[in-house]
Amino acid sequence: MKKTHFSIFMLFLAFILLITDPLSPKEFPQFKQPVLITSAGQSAEVQLASVLAKRAGLNYSLSKTATSRDLADVKTIALVIGTSLKGLGAAGLDMSQENERVSSLIKATQQFNIPILCLHLGGEQRRGTLSDQMIKTVLPFAQHVIVVKSGNKDGLFTEICNTHSIPLIEVERAADALEPLKNAFL
Amino acid sequence: MLKIKRHLIFGSVFLLGAMALGYFSGKSFMSMHIDDHIFPSSGLTENKMLSEYFPKLKKTPGDTPVFIFQGEQPGRNILILGGAHPNEPAGTIAAILLVENIHVQAGKVIIIPWANHSGFTHNDPQEGSPQRFSIRTQDGQRWFKYGSRLTNPIHQWPDPTVYINPSGQKLAGTECRNLNRSYPGRRNGNLTEKIAFGIMEVLISENIDLALDLHEAAPEYPVINAIVFHESSAEIASIAFMELQLSNLEFRLEASPPNLRGLSHREWGDFAKVKAVLLETANVSHGRLKGKPSASLITEGRDKNYVKADKLGRLFVPFKEEGIPLKLRVARHLASIEALISALQEEDPTKIFAIHGLPSMERVKIEGIGQFLAPPK
Ligand SMILES: [Zn+2]
Repeated sequence: MKKTHFSIFMLFLAFILLITDPLSPKEFPQFKQPVLITSAGQSAEVQLASVLAKRAGLNYSLSKTATSRDLADVKTIALVIGTSLKGLGAAGLDMSQENERVSSLIKATQQFNIPILCLHLGGEQRRGTLSDQMIKTVLPFAQHVIVVKSGNKDGLFTEICNTHSIPLIEVERAADALEPLKNAFL
Repeated sequence: MLKIKRHLIFGSVFLLGAMALGYFSGKSFMSMHIDDHIFPSSGLTENKMLSEYFPKLKKTPGDTPVFIFQGEQPGRNILILGGAHPNEPAGTIAAILLVENIHVQAGKVIIIPWANHSGFTHNDPQEGSPQRFSIRTQDGQRWFKYGSRLTNPIHQWPDPTVYINPSGQKLAGTECRNLNRSYPGRRNGNLTEKIAFGIMEVLISENIDLALDLHEAAPEYPVINAIVFHESSAEIASIAFMELQLSNLEFRLEASPPNLRGLSHREWGDFAKVKAVLLETANVSHGRLKGKPSASLITEGRDKNYVKADKLGRLFVPFKEEGIPLKLRVARHLASIEALISALQEEDPTKIFAIHGLPSMERVKIEGIGQFLAPPK
């Protein structure tokens, strides 16, 4: 009798383990809200991230040109990587000013212990010398990276994430980033 | 005596020949001043002219039809502009396709298929472009003019050396005839600026919420297959972009730079406070790498030089043997319009909009454009 109880209990436990799959949420870091969405390179994909955050029901704010002064009460930074000369022009910035803003923002997040979630949503079209430079500078500071697959065709994201042990999720399209984004937050 | 007589006969025949040549080429040249036919659907509620919004355009070559589809219930108001650049036919044809098919139940759709009407009366010198291209409908061919990017110099001349547009931007002199550099227009300006002013009047007086400007560009141009949005339409452009990706349509999402003045996606948003979006598709007959210009190049969009350029990685869109035909470019415009409208509804579901008869991208791709155009009468 006792034995049967025990085996039923074990079965139940196995079942629970099976349906909850406790390994998956632990593989990826969990971020806290509110989240500040900002750009690294001023490409229009920062707007996509904002729409995704809205659909995910996150408590977020969007500031394309955020600086360390915007970090009050912020628990997570979502950095949307991608360089667009049109976008830089729109923000009234040149490449060196944007690099300067992004690196001082990253410095501040380290100082205040604010984790960084990096997104690259523009795919293959948002790669190239300027974007790649931004990816290489910013990505090592991320705690988690979500990338649209075609943007990682050459494995640049995989390589950097492996070197720095950063969990990386690849999605097919920008819209598919919704689920991993939702799951990344508590 | 005989010699003189022979000269006389030869001279007369030559003269008559020259006159005939002059007559027929003149007639062909002048035929560009006759409008193509548009056969609106029964959903059309009003057919106005742009001069009814801005009377100074009356009896000028800049006056152009404005097709209004007013739903029974009030709701969102949308403007669709084709032919701001008359050598970008996907925009014009998409606009005409809408005029000939849609019915609006709630809200309002206003369509201007020949935004720069004067630009449709000529085409670019030294380009060898055909005057027209045709589309086969269920019952006969429909012919459409292939115009010029710029206003006809017969209607607006001369060009200044440097053009300062209404927003104060300095441009090359010929750009004074480019409608998409002339917004928000000038009440007492040149013809092109008056057209721009008239379009602003439509945007404002018709309480437009969303305004779409349909264009095409060469495959070697970086802003291609693009959605260019004014900051006030950032959210709907993003939603539409993701929606289109789900239908396997890749676009480039670009914000309208505030320092690039005179363009629709900037001045419509700034001055008329509408959500302004410009859409671009890829047209080889526009490009510098193309072979011989022809009507079939416009409609079939096949060119071996572009296949080669794609292999060399010189293009901003994929380009294969099958080319990028007009039906595909029109289908892209239609899909984008549909996606932007549904994004507008998602953004504020309290305001309604209901439209029927919008030809779907899939059907236009499979059945062709002609299936959705009225036969010539
Ligand atoms: Zn154009």
